[in-house]
Amino acid sequence: MRTNKISDEERIKAFKLAKKPEVIEKQKLNVRYHVEDFDVNDRPRRFLEAFAAILKHSNYRMALDHYSRVVSRCALCATTCQIYQATGDLEDIPCRRSELLLNVYRRHFTLGGLLKGRISGKDFLTDEKIQEMADGFWNCTACRRCTLECPMGVDHGLITHLGRYILSEIGIAPRALVVSTREQLEGASRNTSAIPIPALKDTLEFLEDDMLEEKSVNIKFPIDVDGSDYVFFPAVSDFLMEAETLMGIAAVFTATGDSWTIGTGYYDGINYGLFYNDRIMERIIRNVDEETDRLHGKNVLIGECGHASRTAKNFMPTFCGGKDARCVVSILEYTHKVWKEGKLKLDPNVVTEKVAYHDPCNFARQRWIVNQPREVLKSFCKNYVEMTPSGENNICCGGGGGTVSIDEIRPYRTTVGGKLKADQIRKSGCDILVAPCANCKKQLRELVEDQGINCQVVGLHDLIYKAIIFDDSLIVKKEGLIFDKPDFSSKEEN
Amino acid sequence: MESLLDFARGPLFRLCFTIMILGLARILSLDVWAIYKAYRKAGDKRMPWKLILSRAWEWFFPVKRISRNFQMYSVISILFHAGLIIVPLFLLAHIQLWKGSVGISWIALPYGWTFSLTIATIVLAVSLFIGRLVIKQARLLSRKQDYLWLLLLLLPFATGFICSNLNISPQSYQFFMLIHVLSGELIFILIPFSKIAHCVLAPLSQVVCAVAWKFPPKTDDDICTTLNKKGAPI
Repeated sequence: MRTNKISDEERIKAFKLAKKPEVIEKQKLNVRYHVEDFDVNDRPRRFLEAFAAILKHSNYRMALDHYSRVVSRCALCATTCQIYQATGDLEDIPCRRSELLLNVYRRHFTLGGLLKGRISGKDFLTDEKIQEMADGFWNCTACRRCTLECPMGVDHGLITHLGRYILSEIGIAPRALVVSTREQLEGASRNTSAIPIPALKDTLEFLEDDMLEEKSVNIKFPIDVDGSDYVFFPAVSDFLMEAETLMGIAAVFTATGDSWTIGTGYYDGINYGLFYNDRIMERIIRNVDEETDRLHGKNVLIGECGHASRTAKNFMPTFCGGKDARCVVSILEYTHKVWKEGKLKLDPNVVTEKVAYHDPCNFARQRWIVNQPREVLKSFCKNYVEMTPSGENNICCGGGGGTVSIDEIRPYRTTVGGKLKADQIRKSGCDILVAPCANCKKQLRELVEDQGINCQVVGLHDLIYKAIIFDDSLIVKKEGLIFDKPDFSSKEEN
Repeated sequence: MESLLDFARGPLFRLCFTIMILGLARILSLDVWAIYKAYRKAGDKRMPWKLILSRAWEWFFPVKRISRNFQMYSVISILFHAGLIIVPLFLLAHIQLWKGSVGISWIALPYGWTFSLTIATIVLAVSLFIGRLVIKQARLLSRKQDYLWLLLLLLPFATGFICSNLNISPQSYQFFMLIHVLSGELIFILIPFSKIAHCVLAPLSQVVCAVAWKFPPKTDDDICTTLNKKGAPI
């Protein structure tokens, strides 16, 4: 079985622990991510109580029963797991990681396991096993690529998801995610980046001025517009870090003339609940729905963000009305639709560099959004190259499953997590890597920086902003003159 | 020996076969019932049937796997499974037994085919056994039953091959035939209670995966109440 392991030097760098020994001693937890202080007493009992409560009120028992019966332990998943491929550590094999939780389930929640345990007096859940899970489930990027390889169809990503959920109920979750969600759900700013409304408005006004100067078009970020077709929820970090992505999205709406708005009551699409706690995920989804209700919006529009799009798309019907829930649209779907309808004109002579597309796992793994962004890109990027493997079987950026937001594990992410992705980017030889996901963009930028790859990481709408051609009627006239008017005569949509 | 063989071929076979059928029906029903209950609880009833069926189809005809990682293992595993299913079902001698006892029969494979497939299955089972021992990833994950199953599955094939193809004394024939029948019957009994249950459960894995991601609504309230966390800060 082939592995593409990291070097000894990289291993030292990746596994260097940033935590102080006294914190490890106090928390009785030796993991690379930081955890807020929590009750360390009687941890196994509390873990089992949380597990029981979750099983009682969720659908996980059905999956655990099924997986417990069929799992064949063939190790095929090891051939696709990028974490295992990089470390070569047997603990990182997805099937083995899943067994950590499946064993607890069999021993404590099935009749056979309870009887066997009672007779043998063995296999109780211990602090050591909790430590193993706390480590293993956060080494995984929850990309679910191994699920495609498993002959039995075991969804190891689901088991990682559940394992993290139970751990978070006893206080074991990365501090970075918990603090951000606390601000989003209980803080004054109501968003994970703690951006106050005045700062948001200032930023948007500044971007509007920039766009007017650059494109000679009055491109607006409509705020609190009642009854819009689309209420927009980007990953809120885009307001700080991805100005060009937002400008591209605003430009697309200006070109199509469709109504959209950003609500000041709630404007964060990020949902870290997907990464560590279903209860949190439910609360965040409800916030998105309530804000759309407040603005009498028709549809929820999610920005360039894989996990935000997946949670809204998949779980809005779950938590907010079933089949009557409002429609959730990813900006990638919207842009592709208007491009197909001919409402979006893109200049094929602007982006001349070699461009490659990275599939965010949350878009591609379930074959949801794979070809749409490619079609748009290929229409105006002459020098487009494909990375292999891609689409449904893509390689994760290495920062999936919320790990990208844990800054203290950056060395791990950019050596272990992103090892295979870095090799793939190098091999493609691309100058521009398009990643329409806030998480992927952050991780990939850190990856190319730490791995010394000469490549620019951008969003899809960053390039669209560069290449968009506006209709004459939208060009602002100044003192009777049209300035910077693009030449349409020789430019056609491909 | 002969009366023992008759007993093994007759009443014991019927008993073991019935246990297997009922056992498989039981776990299949339990699984389907659990999926149905979960689906009823789910807040979102939309199902990605196209994806589910497409991936289930890939499981039935795993041609794509051959081009994936670790091709040799995939090829060996696929052929081994093919042998396990085809040889017992389409061997002329087995079909004749069915015809003699319950009066039903179906097309048998030519002798040459079953002969080659039997040898291939034996070789492949040995390869898989060695693979589990030699490949460190598989060795780490393997339980005792993973090795024992390969040996147990090997037994009826090896003894069946000896009885059909080697010139042995009647006593030896009866001995090997007894082992052949008893090992087959042991497999029947164990199937529903072991990982081999995947023969009926694995086709449902994609549905299980899709439904498992369909959460019930209001879990936040329910779990907070159960865990006494109502109103607790994050």
